[in-house]
Amino acid sequence: MSAPNCLRGCLVQRPAGGAAATLLRHSTVMPATAAHFSTSTPLHGNMMKPQKPGPKSKVLLVAKQWKKGKVADRGGKSPLPGERKAFRKRILLSNNNALPVEGLTYIGPGDLLDHKNVGKVMSIPDAAVDQLRTAEVFKPTQTWSIFRKPSMLVRSETVDLLNRMHTALGKEKALRLVIAGDRITGKSMLLLQAITHAYLNDYIVIHIPEAQELSIGATEYAPVPHSDPVQFMQPNYVLKLIQAIRKANEKLLAKMTTIYSHPDLPQNIPVSSPLLALANSAKEPESAWIVFRALFQELTVKGHGRPPILFSLDGLAHIMKMSEYRTAAFEPIHSHDLALVRLFTDCLSGAVSLPNGGAVLAAMTRGNAPRVPSLDLALSRRAAEQAGRHKNQLPQRPAFAKDYDDRVEAVLQTVELLQLQGVSKPEARSLMEYWAASGVLRSLIDEATVSEKWTLAGNGIVGEMERAALLTSRF
Amino acid sequence: MVFILGVNFHEQKLVKKALETFYALGPQISARVMAKHYIHPRAKMGTLPPKTVTALTAELSSMTIESEARKIVQDNIKRLRDMGTYRGRRHAMGLPVRGQNTRTQIATAKRLNKVERAG
Repeated sequence: MSAPNCLRGCLVQRPAGGAAATLLRHSTVMPATAAHFSTSTPLHGNMMKPQKPGPKSKVLLVAKQWKKGKVADRGGKSPLPGERKAFRKRILLSNNNALPVEGLTYIGPGDLLDHKNVGKVMSIPDAAVDQLRTAEVFKPTQTWSIFRKPSMLVRSETVDLLNRMHTALGKEKALRLVIAGDRITGKSMLLLQAITHAYLNDYIVIHIPEAQELSIGATEYAPVPHSDPVQFMQPNYVLKLIQAIRKANEKLLAKMTTIYSHPDLPQNIPVSSPLLALANSAKEPESAWIVFRALFQELTVKGHGRPPILFSLDGLAHIMKMSEYRTAAFEPIHSHDLALVRLFTDCLSGAVSLPNGGAVLAAMTRGNAPRVPSLDLALSRRAAEQAGRHKNQLPQRPAFAKDYDDRVEAVLQTVELLQLQGVSKPEARSLMEYWAASGVLRSLIDEATVSEKWTLAGNGIVGEMERAALLTSRF
Repeated sequence: MVFILGVNFHEQKLVKKALETFYALGPQISARVMAKHYIHPRAKMGTLPPKTVTALTAELSSMTIESEARKIVQDNIKRLRDMGTYRGRRHAMGLPVRGQNTRTQIATAKRLNKVERAG
């Protein structure tokens, strides 16, 4: 019985020589059926059930089906509409099969600002986990589901980014920054760390989890009345967003009161009623955009005890192109003419300021991002500027290029750029020790293993390290 | 269930697909009709507000679709036959019109080529 505990204890302490050898011998002797750890208990359970006496083999079954043109009864009932997607997109944040890791500390309000914490793995406090879940910051592709509780590595970039946020906050300005980097370098995870920090430090967080949901024409849209040039609101999406903001920031919103009267609102909200009441007044999609505007107006009042705001978006490229929507005259709508996207891009470009400080963060995505030449150009120009290149030496548009977009370049004229790369070796080691202590990586963590995985992962690309070390065998 | 132009559609049906069930209403027109009423490309029938459903019915009833569009096709074929053209005769005989071989593979022509063409 002591095998898991022994494994954990020994690996964490990184014993030299004899102890480690004993441990390895012990673990290799274990039969394969007695795996310490499996994520697939229910599936396994189903497999072990006695099969009904039915058609002899699958091949025969399929052949029969073709002949008769009937759907074969494979047993069990088919999932209800939406059930498959819900299963695919579910977020599991804890796994009781994983070993609890001793010595993990919860992230405190100032912990992610402290350079001493670089290279540590820390857990997200439960209250923040709920908030992050409400704001849909966790992604199904991240490996939360194989650990006991949600924890993350504090990288040097994390501390760097949050210190920049903190400095901007001191000056009552907003940090406007784009997080870029190769595939699975941890861009969304860095965003998650920034949002966690924001929740722990009483920011109001407005988070758009998937920018593509706004631009691929999958949600309702309608022109904003009296807007010139015409903008388009996305009532259902905005209603969902308001509800998420309300739920995740409930305590803060309850403390603040309105200072404007908003005659347009569907429900009368007198001056000095709590902002929570304002947020609650969004009941129908039709009024969602008006309520959102009013809420944003109230939150961006200077002073009056208003907290800083973190406005973040994941998947920037998706809102830097023409959307899939069309006007009534069948003209394509630019993503920047969608009202919510416009608000974000205005904040990102600095056209709309956040007077109480905060941050506007946009993470790039590499998974399914559309090709946006203007975005690439603008970011390469920012990178060149940050590298100290002279104005005349910045990258230029190709002379006869057509698919460039002035609106995109205008938005990104003054943003900062954070280019994410792989983690350093000490950070990698700390992460792998956490994996080993959780029982998901069953090898001795020494210099050689760390170096191997770090190198296999393209110099410490975190996602590749996970692939090399954790996801090599699906249980 | 949602009624458009007297036809009953399931709530889970895509608006685009529902519109394209009408004869002479294809992808181009359906996209334009949907844009005109601010219906997003992936909308389903169940999500349409009653106002939009009424507007769609009104819009479709003013368009040349279904029996009116079929009538135009039938008139064209009738005209060809009345003039005694080769195409008109081939239609009347239920044979391919455009010079195809007729030894095999003329099922479609047999099905469709008629003076009172149905589809």
